[in-house]
Amino acid sequence: MITQEKYRTTVKELLANGTIKMAIGYRPGSTSDRRRPLFIRTSEEADQLVLDSTCITNLSGYLVTEGLLSDEKQVGIFLRPEGIRSINILAAEYQLNVDQIIIFGFDSTGREVRALQGQTTGDFSALLSEIRENPPLTTKEPLLERIEKMNAKERFDFWQQEFSRCIKCYACRQACPMCYCRRCIVDSNQPQWVNTSSHTLGNFEWNVVRAFHLSGRCVQCGNCDRACPVNIPLRLINQRMANEVVDGFDHFAGLSPTQEPVLASFKKDDTETFIL
Amino acid sequence: MTRILFSDKLDNCVAKWRSAGLTVIGPVQGESLSSYATVEKGTDLHLGLVLPDRSLKELFFPQTEPMLSYTIKKNEIETADFTPPSAPRIIFGARPCDASGLAIDDPLFGWDYKDEYWFQRRNESVIVTIACTKADDFCLCTSLKLAPDSTKGSDVLLRSLDKNRGWLVEELTDRGREAFAIISEYLQEGSEPALPTVEVPEKFNLDTCVTWLQNPENFDSKFWKEISMRCIGCASCTYLCPTCHCFDIQDEGDTYSGIRRKNWDSCSFALFTMHTSGHNPRSTQSARWRQRIMHKFNYFPGKFSVNSCSGCGRCSRQCPVDMGITETLQEISKL
Repeated sequence: MITQEKYRTTVKELLANGTIKMAIGYRPGSTSDRRRPLFIRTSEEADQLVLDSTCITNLSGYLVTEGLLSDEKQVGIFLRPEGIRSINILAAEYQLNVDQIIIFGFDSTGREVRALQGQTTGDFSALLSEIRENPPLTTKEPLLERIEKMNAKERFDFWQQEFSRCIKCYACRQACPMCYCRRCIVDSNQPQWVNTSSHTLGNFEWNVVRAFHLSGRCVQCGNCDRACPVNIPLRLINQRMANEVVDGFDHFAGLSPTQEPVLASFKKDDTETFIL
Repeated sequence: MTRILFSDKLDNCVAKWRSAGLTVIGPVQGESLSSYATVEKGTDLHLGLVLPDRSLKELFFPQTEPMLSYTIKKNEIETADFTPPSAPRIIFGARPCDASGLAIDDPLFGWDYKDEYWFQRRNESVIVTIACTKADDFCLCTSLKLAPDSTKGSDVLLRSLDKNRGWLVEELTDRGREAFAIISEYLQEGSEPALPTVEVPEKFNLDTCVTWLQNPENFDSKFWKEISMRCIGCASCTYLCPTCHCFDIQDEGDTYSGIRRKNWDSCSFALFTMHTSGHNPRSTQSARWRQRIMHKFNYFPGKFSVNSCSGCGRCSRQCPVDMGITETLQEISKL
């Protein structure tokens, strides 16, 4: 509660003195355990701000809403550590200018929510390095470990079963801060690269394309997993790929706004003879 | 004298219907999702769910469906039609909102073109609905002038007895009577009181909302932008909706052979209205959300005299950003 009150005051001050034009946070949802994204532009709207352990959604995707940052004014946003990593990746991929972002950092343990010290992404670099060294326990999920033990055939069958429920609503894509493409490959229909049908092939095409596209970019915020209306455990795919990128390239995504994107950068002295 | 179907006879009934050639379908809780699915025994049915995660619509209007196959040869083009295989079935344990959803869509699918896929399945399905004795925070049938015991779209309505002992049977259509004639040996005459249906509070005044929506001045109201600011533009509300019915037609294959399919599509997507020129008449998410609400409560009733919403609440229940029809109409009724 104290953290929430402090942040309400901070947001009001920054709005009043013109530092920020908007803050993106959370407000109560339609049931007691739900929170909704909130766009704060006035002091009255700041009074609706809620900050507690149920504020889970990674809000960073809203920052790349068309036109929001084009006036070069600053915007505040409530972020957990993984959200701060998202901001760094978006900056590294030239989607936003970190100088325009004021971070209201927070994290929670159990039901306790606490503020993270700092306002710009640089202020959190020590924290992010610490997370890299001691990743949260979610990286060792029992289901993920079970899948790791499967042979290729069993793993294929597992995912085929999971993907069979996919209805191609693309909630995973829309909820993902990294899916900012103006035109997604599945929306390209001349030619139609990816089948729109939600049959086995179409569902595999979509989910596998997305998994590869997020490799080295996903911060495991879980937005896709929570958004999926048919409960496909999407976090597991992305977690697996993130582990792979750490193992293969020593790349922990989102450490700083200048970190080179691992699969979109090129080095002349690369020892690999083949570049995909 | 009413007839009663006791729960302990359900297995017999399912077996009897199956031996009469009917596929039996009902609510089933899977490992991570509930839906209407084929069952072999009465005990496979999960009749205690408020309602399945997925709606009944997809059994009539599948998310992807082949329409025809084509092969282009040197001097001729061969095509073959796919029509849904004849499969008489009984859906046991539908919820009134899901059954109503089908009735709402009937005039749409039979309007200027009679959709044979929809109607073949409609004509071959017996819908046995169970009146609701429980609801959750998202149920809103009463706000849509429907009820937890609406008979709309149903062939038989069942009302639950206490302690899950069974149901009072109300046969509503000839199709329902025929299906229950098959199991008449398992029905008993009786006159027990049924459990009361659940009280679903009215969440908004529909007439007030419709009047506001019908006023052309409100088409450009800034309300639309405000209410949909957090909409992320996924299609989960439309795809889980028991009445949303938009689809796209796609050819899958190559120049010489392939399959033409009918796939769900959604007004939530920018691509839905994108013109070949690149111009998009619904270029913003707020315009798309406005379209969804206007379509359900203004355009559709204007054409078919019925709202395109049966109050199941799935749109709000599943929304990743906690939006939905309930919130939007509640806010409109306050304007």
